[in-house]
Amino acid sequence: MNAGQLQSLKDLIEFLKQQEVGEFELEQEGLKVRLSFAGQGRSAGNNVDLGQLSHLLQYAPAASPAAVAAPAHLSNVSAGPSAVELSTAGEEAGLHIIKSPIVGTFYEASAPGAEPYIKVGDQVESGQVVCIVEAMKLMNEIESDVAGEVVKRMVASGQPVEYGQPLFAVRRR
Amino acid sequence: MVDTLDSDALDADVKETMFSGKLHIFSSIGSTNTLAMQQAAKGAAHGSVYIAEEQTAGRGRGAHAWHSEPYAGLCVSILLRPQMAAADGLWLSLATGLAVQQAIENVTALVADIRWPNDLLFGGRKVGGILLEMNAEATRVRYAVIGVGINVNHRQFPPELRDLATSLRLETDRVPLRQDLLVAVLKCLADEIVGLMKPACFANARAGILARMQQKSRWVCGKQVFVDEAGGYTGVTAGLDEHGFLLVQTANGVRKVLSGGVRDRSAKG
Repeated sequence: MNAGQLQSLKDLIEFLKQQEVGEFELEQEGLKVRLSFAGQGRSAGNNVDLGQLSHLLQYAPAASPAAVAAPAHLSNVSAGPSAVELSTAGEEAGLHIIKSPIVGTFYEASAPGAEPYIKVGDQVESGQVVCIVEAMKLMNEIESDVAGEVVKRMVASGQPVEYGQPLFAVRRR
Repeated sequence: MVDTLDSDALDADVKETMFSGKLHIFSSIGSTNTLAMQQAAKGAAHGSVYIAEEQTAGRGRGAHAWHSEPYAGLCVSILLRPQMAAADGLWLSLATGLAVQQAIENVTALVADIRWPNDLLFGGRKVGGILLEMNAEATRVRYAVIGVGINVNHRQFPPELRDLATSLRLETDRVPLRQDLLVAVLKCLADEIVGLMKPACFANARAGILARMQQKSRWVCGKQVFVDEAGGYTGVTAGLDEHGFLLVQTANGVRKVLSGGVRDRSAKG
């Protein structure tokens, strides 16, 4: 998470505190944020300490954006520690995302029926071809730019992909 | 008389282009594209050209085989190291179709139709096919290989291909020498590539490609098509978008064709 994103998150938390929102979830473009505020006998919002942000980093699939706001009087929320969870396709989880450099159709193998270039659980090397993205009869070999273990494939073979769309998550070694 | 290629004469004919001194002719190899990609990975130079008198394992899109007889077809793959972003590499696909169309016209006076993105057709039958392969990072193309196959001297095709394929010999009495056709292809392609590779010319080159596709392909506008993509759908072609992707007007709105597989709707039955 970069400085700009962190500032946006701080602003969001301020807003949610003002609105006395008990829980909040946001999921979009590889970033998943879940916030819940809890307090003991006083305005729980004041307990939210940005220094206590716990970063739970896991890949969030590019699902349709879903924002769930559950307004609640914070004084009614049961006691417990403040909790802010952040899930993002970021570096802190050691996950590297291989993205498509072009618009096209994703293929896991060089030809129909052929073995996939890589499978979840495989070890890949930097520079190793991991898939093909085809557009206009141009077969574009996509390489891994890190060495590590393939932990997730985000796209099914034959699916269209957009420029910059995540294709694989790789745990660096 | 066998229509063989003369490497010295070829080299002399392309000496003004990026291909000068970089022509490699083989009597028989599996696939010129496969060889070119292998050589590219080993560091072969920009402008290297790999030509086969016969391909034993020619490839098309989706691993379709490309029919090849010795000395009958033109099988050539061109290795480029263009200074461009991966997304811009797609322009090579349309540019190659236009270059091959122009080359065929220059040596036979016949104008082939272009089925988006770059199939060359006479009367709905394929006379030329193009397959590009690219190795790229997001911000730059490491190398790209342009594979071109043209049916030249074939007098007939196997029964399963007769309705799908044709050759220049079957289309005209003025059968060109493969050598002349190859020189024309390389020169036309060099003109297109030079335009796309110079940053100052890039915008003009793209606009020119879009305009010529509109003029020189009967598939770009108003054609009833079946698109073998995303489960398959039908519609009427509605021009190209600013990136050169084909637009198809369907009952559910305009769709963008990504990968080809565009067929005459009547052929689908």
